[in-house]
Amino acid sequence: MNATLVFARKEALEIVRTWRIWVLPAIILFFAITAPVLARFTPEIVGAVAGDQLGGISLPPGTYLDAYGQWIKNLSQITLFALIIIYGGIISTETSSGTAILVLTKPMSRGAFVAVKAIIHSVFLAVLTVIGTLATWGLTAAVFGHAPADPVWSSALIWLLLGVFYIALMTFFSVLIPSAVGAAGAGMGAFVLLTIGALWKPLSDHSPAGLAGQAAALAAGKPVPDLLWPVLVSLATAAVLVAAASLLFRQKEL
Amino acid sequence: MSAAIRAAGLTKSYGRKLVLDSLDLDVEEGSIFGFLGPNGAGKTTTLRLTTGLARPTKGSIQVLGHDARAAGNAVRSAIGYLPDVPAFYEWMTAPEFLSFAGGLFGMSGSALHDRTSMLLDLAGLTDVQTKIGGYSRGMKQRLGIAQALINAPRLLLLDEPTSALDPMGRKGVLDMIASLRGRTTVFFSTHILSDVERVCDTVAILDRGRMVAQAPIDELKARYGKEKVVVEVTENADELAKEFGERPWATAIARGALGSIEITVTDLGAAQHDIPAIVAARDSGLARLEAGEIGLEEVFVELVGGGR
Repeated sequence: MNATLVFARKEALEIVRTWRIWVLPAIILFFAITAPVLARFTPEIVGAVAGDQLGGISLPPGTYLDAYGQWIKNLSQITLFALIIIYGGIISTETSSGTAILVLTKPMSRGAFVAVKAIIHSVFLAVLTVIGTLATWGLTAAVFGHAPADPVWSSALIWLLLGVFYIALMTFFSVLIPSAVGAAGAGMGAFVLLTIGALWKPLSDHSPAGLAGQAAALAAGKPVPDLLWPVLVSLATAAVLVAAASLLFRQKEL
Repeated sequence: MSAAIRAAGLTKSYGRKLVLDSLDLDVEEGSIFGFLGPNGAGKTTTLRLTTGLARPTKGSIQVLGHDARAAGNAVRSAIGYLPDVPAFYEWMTAPEFLSFAGGLFGMSGSALHDRTSMLLDLAGLTDVQTKIGGYSRGMKQRLGIAQALINAPRLLLLDEPTSALDPMGRKGVLDMIASLRGRTTVFFSTHILSDVERVCDTVAILDRGRMVAQAPIDELKARYGKEKVVVEVTENADELAKEFGERPWATAIARGALGSIEITVTDLGAAQHDIPAIVAARDSGLARLEAGEIGLEEVFVELVGGGR
């Protein structure tokens, strides 16, 4: 087994045997489970809380699309924040603690060190997204009796691409900024900029800035005519970010 | 004999702070080389430059015939490195970490298993089942030495390898280093002079980023050393110390433990001839008269102690 595979195995084991196996999975599963339940019972809850204040207005009953929309909305906001915070130290934690030194003075290249981390954590996110989507899909079917696969899976896939883009972005920031908190701050800043940038249609249609909106539209069962550009640009940007992080890391003194 | 490490004009500065100043260094392959210096002398920086973790500001450093800056996997495959404070994945156990380290060198199967078992035994960690996060500093240091040896390196770089160890652990590490003589080049930094005296062939002394001496230990002692006489008397030790200091063969007087008088001498024969007569003339008794060779500590103090 070569050094890259050995390191990839270590990275995967580290996920399974540390706090990483609890935090992100718990967040994703919580939203996966609560989305259909909240969608089903929100009209009753609002009605009970508001009492007579709604003035006879009755809320329409929830549908499977509300469940999907809730799931994707939570992924695109709170889960992305969690992702940014968790991966602020994806590289810098190893450099500041000194563990990277014992690895990188062995036949393991710095480029592979960075790339392996970005890839393994992207795969981890993909697995979590699949499990979460299965959970929300199954629960939606149980609660509403009807749960078409297309809207939930296509929107989850687009969100996964956004998640992978943010992992790549945080990998870059974590090489650039030695502090995990500082990198997370930069990630939050990028999130705000992309959210604002999504208001400009050309940017929204041709970059990761529009992915959250497109995922929400797909979850709502609306047609999204041209996904090719944002998908390709997002994938390419993620690859460029990881390559830039690798190059930058090779120049760094440890 | 070829050089395992060769530095020429090696300079490193961080901003305006000069850490290494035009260092020239030659470490012969197969030697056990002690790299001495007080704290902050630049020892760790030199090791970081040797491993390629940092880059020189000026000058060059070659490791096993390759430029350390561009050293690829071929060079790293032949090196074992222990940093001054080794950090591990604390969720692993010692056998897991050694297997991981060996795997990075492409080792696998029974060869890796046997090597791991042997090194765990050497580190005294065979029966330790806890995760590394629960280890003491000494246990981590021993595991750090074991991981540096996993690939049976041609060049072993150790940064303060005995600093966190108890006397038994220190002895074990020094014995292990001595056992590598002739097979592996060992380059280790330390400020513990007795460790160097015990196992090293050659030493370099670094002070404030500058090399002040580099030579085989015996040559260094002969070059800088004078002989020493230790005298213990029954009475009038203070007056006798003063009188010894006035003799032409005495260059320095110091008071040792239990009131002994330590005299650095230029002519040992003359000192041994005169001392009993001087003691008798002062109506004192001679309890001990011992001639000794000057130690590395005195050389070190002479070279780096001035001006401090």
